[in-house]
Formats: sequence, structure tokens, C-alpha cells
Amino acid sequence: MDIYQTILAIYPDLQDSDFETVISLRNDSDGRGDYIEKWDHPVHAEPTEEQLIQAGWTK
Amino acid sequence: MTILIDGTSGITYPQGATQIVGAGPAFSAYASASQTVTTATQTKVAIDTENFDTNSNFDTTNYRFTPTVAGYYQVNGSLRGTGTTTFTSIAGYIYKNGSPSKRAQITASLTAGNNTSITVSDIIYMNGSTDYLELWGNINGTGTLTFTSANSTDQTSYFSACLLRGA
Repeated sequence: MDIYQTILAIYPDLQDSDFETVISLRNDSDGRGDYIEKWDHPVHAEPTEEQLIQAGWTK
Repeated sequence: MTILIDGTSGITYPQGATQIVGAGPAFSAYASASQTVTTATQTKVAIDTENFDTNSNFDTTNYRFTPTVAGYYQVNGSLRGTGTTTFTSIAGYIYKNGSPSKRAQITASLTAGNNTSITVSDIIYMNGSTDYLELWGNINGTGTLTFTSANSTDQTSYFSACLLRGA
């Protein structure tokens, strides 16, 4: 799964609007892949890379 | 400031002279290859091929314009996107110094495989030393999402800027 799908698998109640406001995903096109650039969600904690991988993220 | 006038070259202004554009920096570049992206993820567009770069201020490795003359620049970016399953929106951003500065976005429910484009432009002040600009984009959809590229004579994802006015 990509990073977006993986985050939704961990927190199914997240909305698309959250990814335009309190959560920002980025890819710098430098070969390092996608990453969480900002996480300001008021309820859910930012998942760690280990949690993402355990949830199915194929980095 | 010295303005040179001769019978061969006409009038020559100093580069970047205050309120005179003269031979200020200008570049145009495009993405030579398509780029697969992740939904809801802001991604730097790999603008890797120059049409022209008058002052060698565009970096085709980091896809970044860092003008060495301070002033106000007309900046333009366009990207085309497609999705193999669903495609719901596309956004284009001009990033200044690593953060979003300008955004254009459209919502479009496209048939799988169809393309749509977004263009973002504005006039942006650059300090002529450390300020830099990049073109970024974002697609929301499912399946394989792509910033597409055609070829050098039919450029579909491109980025350009030129000095309008000195600082």
C-alpha cells in the first residue's frame, strides 16, 4: 500500500480534507520516496515509520 | 549605472538594473518523462530538460530555479495528470524556498486514462541570492496516478520564469 492508504488503514475516520489541512504528505522526487511532512491532527498521533510498515506500507 | 549606446548593438542595459529589465534571467524547462505519484501527496515535478536558461539559474538535478538577480519574476507552471482508475482532482503549486506559495486546483471526475491539466502562475519577488522556486503537484485518485509528459515538441508539464522588474 502507498503511504496515504496505509494512514487511512490505521485511522479509517480520517477525511480527505485532513490531508489538505492538518496532514501533509510529500515526495521531493529525490529518490527517497513519500513521507509525512506535517502532522497536526488534533486527535490522532503521527504514526511512526515502524507502524506504517507494519500496517502494510511499501516504502 | 551605465547605459551603452552604439551603432551595432543599440542600447545595452546593465543586467538587473533597477527598474530596467535588460538582459535579466529567463528560463523555460519541461519534464522529459512521465512521473508516477501517490494520491494526496504533494510531489515535486521532475522538470529535467531546459528549453533555454539565459543565466544558468535553473538546476535540472533538483528541478529548482534560483535567480541570481533580485527582482520581480513572472513565474508559470503547468502539469498534466492522469489516473488509471479514478481521478478526482489535481493541484499545481509554486513552492518558494521549500514551502507552498501559490496553488491552483481543479476538481474533475475523469474517465480512467483521460488527462487534465492545471496551470499556476503569479509574479513573485526573489532576492537574487538564496530564494528558489520549484513546481510541485498533487493528484487525488486511485490506481496508477501520473504526471504525464509527451515529447520535446508537445510539452505537457513545464515551468518557466523571467525577470519583469528589478528590485
